[in-house]
Amino acid sequence: MLKILIPTFMLFPTIWLVPGKWLWTATTAHSLVVASASLSWFKWCSETGWVAPNLYLALDPLSFPLAVLACWLVPLMIIASQNHVAHEPLTRQRTYISLLVSLQVFLILAFSAMDILTFYVMFEATLIPTLIIITRWGSQTERLSAGTYFMFYTLLGSLPLLVALLYLLNDTGTLSMHTLQYIQMTNPDTLGTMLWWVACLLAFLVKMPLYGVHLWLPKAHVEAPVAGSMVLAAVLLKLGGYGMMRMMVVLGPLTKEMAYPFIILALWGIIMTGSICLRQTDLKSLIAYSSVSHMGLVASGILIQTPWGFTGAIILMVAHGLASSALFCLANTSYERTHSRTMLLTRGLQMILPLMAAWWFLANLANLALPPLPNLMGELMIIVSVFNWSSWTILLTGLGTLITASYSLHLFLTTQRGPTPQHFISMDPSHTREHLLMALHLIPLLLLVLKPELMWGWCF
Amino acid sequence: VAIVNQLTTEEQEVKKRNNSGSGSTRKLCGTRLISHSPNSGAAGSATVSDLQPSHAKESHGHSEVSAFEKNPDFHGFSQDPIVDEWNMRMAFFFGISVAIVVGGTFIHYLPDHGMRQWARREAERLITQREAAGLPLMEENYYDPSKIVLPEAEEKNTL
Repeated sequence: MLKILIPTFMLFPTIWLVPGKWLWTATTAHSLVVASASLSWFKWCSETGWVAPNLYLALDPLSFPLAVLACWLVPLMIIASQNHVAHEPLTRQRTYISLLVSLQVFLILAFSAMDILTFYVMFEATLIPTLIIITRWGSQTERLSAGTYFMFYTLLGSLPLLVALLYLLNDTGTLSMHTLQYIQMTNPDTLGTMLWWVACLLAFLVKMPLYGVHLWLPKAHVEAPVAGSMVLAAVLLKLGGYGMMRMMVVLGPLTKEMAYPFIILALWGIIMTGSICLRQTDLKSLIAYSSVSHMGLVASGILIQTPWGFTGAIILMVAHGLASSALFCLANTSYERTHSRTMLLTRGLQMILPLMAAWWFLANLANLALPPLPNLMGELMIIVSVFNWSSWTILLTGLGTLITASYSLHLFLTTQRGPTPQHFISMDPSHTREHLLMALHLIPLLLLVLKPELMWGWCF
Repeated sequence: VAIVNQLTTEEQEVKKRNNSGSGSTRKLCGTRLISHSPNSGAAGSATVSDLQPSHAKESHGHSEVSAFEKNPDFHGFSQDPIVDEWNMRMAFFFGISVAIVVGGTFIHYLPDHGMRQWARREAERLITQREAAGLPLMEENYYDPSKIVLPEAEEKNTL
């Protein structure tokens, strides 16, 4: 663990001490070395069940895919932000990269935390750099409202979570995940326990987000700069899923009855947000609502608590992280050239930027869960396990899959095909940097097809 | 057809200007990349022209100058050509050669993940062993049925 954490902390001296003109080169190289080192977490010793265990931090097959994803995203965020931050004063550039790195630190600590209170503190800590990134570096005036929605929706869920965790600590004497897997729930029938159950999960359901408490997500994703959107879509949403899977251990037999309304909301949300995607005019807003749709599937997979449901949830979280982040990067390449996110104004780009159209195509195919990509793997496992839970859900999940395919296709056809608008006078060709960014998103996704057991969790 | 013609005329103009010497790049400073011609307003407030106020095209350094003018080998990383080149090299080396290639090889040669292949081999070994000994392959019951204590029919409660 320390061989990743110490180099990550050392990114701060790199950021602040490197001469100005080599800032981006040095931080890109350093963070990529940290990301390569984080691949050592994939070595899973079945004897202990945990990877790199110590008293306070350990990874298991649920958390190490997400932790590696968090480490992989930071160099990608740095590469993605390079263009739009480059014309700012040097100190501000260093501050920006410091915020991204501090997010990496909090995320690694959150995913590897062995104590649920540590996880809670890190979960809350990730809010602050994200809020600063959205409100300081966002492009429109709506970013202040977006930041407010983001903070207060998350706090709405997480303050009850704090109370619930402290109650659990008081009751059992420990919040260590090693020990909590063996406790029994004592009073499953009382109203107090049911409220405690809701309090435990509400924060993560808001974070996922569950349809119904999802309003912060389109605002935050749209108003954030590209790095903010990337980290939000790729990793921060997965904190919610991860938290839910960890909390399920202590929530005992009560989940069988109490999860019903949330499963229904999640499944219904797939259809509703998918339909909203079909009507979106703003490019980033469409990608944001598609994130809500995919996360609805993940939430329903987690709430039914079956091995395949959990496995499908982990796979879909990792695959969606890479695919959604790739789409936000593509949206940013379009935005940097046209300064508009309106899809009607930025269409027909295949004629001008054909290579980028190839990346658009691949990213959209990933989003609509094309086999053999892991997006399909995860979706199919969740759909099958939810069908096993109740046969009627196939109507919702099947329709959701259809709608996902249609809005992904709509996204591709609107931005790439069709007549190029007349108001483009000239446009920069695609930069090497942008091609590299897309390659670094999609090559891992393709490689995961070859060794998917890295993501299967410990249930499969 | 009109658009293609417009682009090729632009391209020809750019080529002519680039060939005409060092003073050429100054003429393209302040060239707008997005049309500012008044639109019908049908697209609403989020039109492109509203995002670039009209004085922007006059101010030096704020208008859209393509970095490819000064550095035809611009990779997208930095305006300084040397930093741009080295940044590209570092990003590709550490991103592709180290992280994906070396990292991918490392992951490929990791031992049996979750002991799944061992479990398969062990199962096959036990099956051949039990078939050779004439034993059943597996007990039908997971738990020993004599050890299960069921409640009496009257004692069932609805929980």
